[in-house]
Amino acid sequence: MWARVASILLGIWLMAAPAILGYGEPANSNDRIVGPIAATFAAIALWEVTSPIRWMNLPLGLWEILAPMILGYNDLAAILNSFAVGAALALLAAVRQQRTQRFAGGWSALWRPKLLEEHQPAGDDTIAEPDEERKVSAARK
Amino acid sequence: MAERGSPPGWDFNPSSWSQRLPIIGLALLGFGIATYLALFQLGIITTVWEPFFGDGSRVILTSRISHILPIPDAALGALGYLADAVTGAIGGRARWRTMPWIVIIFGLAVGPLGAVSIMLVIFQPVLFDAWCTLCLASAVISVAMIGPAMDEVLASLQHIRWAQLRGRSLWHAFWGVGV
Repeated sequence: MWARVASILLGIWLMAAPAILGYGEPANSNDRIVGPIAATFAAIALWEVTSPIRWMNLPLGLWEILAPMILGYNDLAAILNSFAVGAALALLAAVRQQRTQRFAGGWSALWRPKLLEEHQPAGDDTIAEPDEERKVSAARK
Repeated sequence: MAERGSPPGWDFNPSSWSQRLPIIGLALLGFGIATYLALFQLGIITTVWEPFFGDGSRVILTSRISHILPIPDAALGALGYLADAVTGAIGGRARWRTMPWIVIIFGLAVGPLGAVSIMLVIFQPVLFDAWCTLCLASAVISVAMIGPAMDEVLASLQHIRWAQLRGRSLWHAFWGVGV
């Protein structure tokens, strides 16, 4: 939770930083693009069911660290800001959300039938699959 | 203890009204803001409220990009919010399994609308060096709707997938036939 809120604030900071720190192109445009995108991903990841979206801020953070070299920044404030915000975004992306609710295996259950099956009520017809596989899953339980 | 009517393996029902009404409320708020901005863009009202960014709102709302389509972009946004509210409201507490089609249309309406809003926020300062308070408010509303809308979409997709795995018709499950 706190990690998502911090990431949202960092995204908003990136939108405002060019005006506050007074740096121009190309850092200016880059940060005004990355800022709202990072804030959006973090805001979507606030909810438990969409929490995996937080990982989208890892590449965005890494991009902020590399952008001064790739785009050739020449303003010291812009460079330091980019490094600091980028590192923070990348680290915060890895902070796990505390789980309080169950979603029957979540999104990965859509391509992992076993995971979906585990959460179906007893007595519901099971997956039409070879008997051997069913024995294996039964043995695991 | 799982709430009654929850999808199998879920602790709560994502189609319950307590889950859906806040999203519908946000959509109606967004609809109000977008309608107000569209009225300005259409010249029906001549001034636009802008407490922070001086001439920013006027610059943004009269820009080339905002009039690139046959109708002004805020009018399109208003239609989008209306679609969110309507598809959010249709169907009862069991709609994640009785009407997966409306849940999926709802998810598609909320997701892409949020993405377009963010794109417009990015265009504002990068292309015109101006900001627009109500446009930003609209973007915040769009983004706030995405997360809470997706749980219902997941429940419907799991329901359809489970029907398919049991050898039932994916088509029937999508339209809620025989539920």
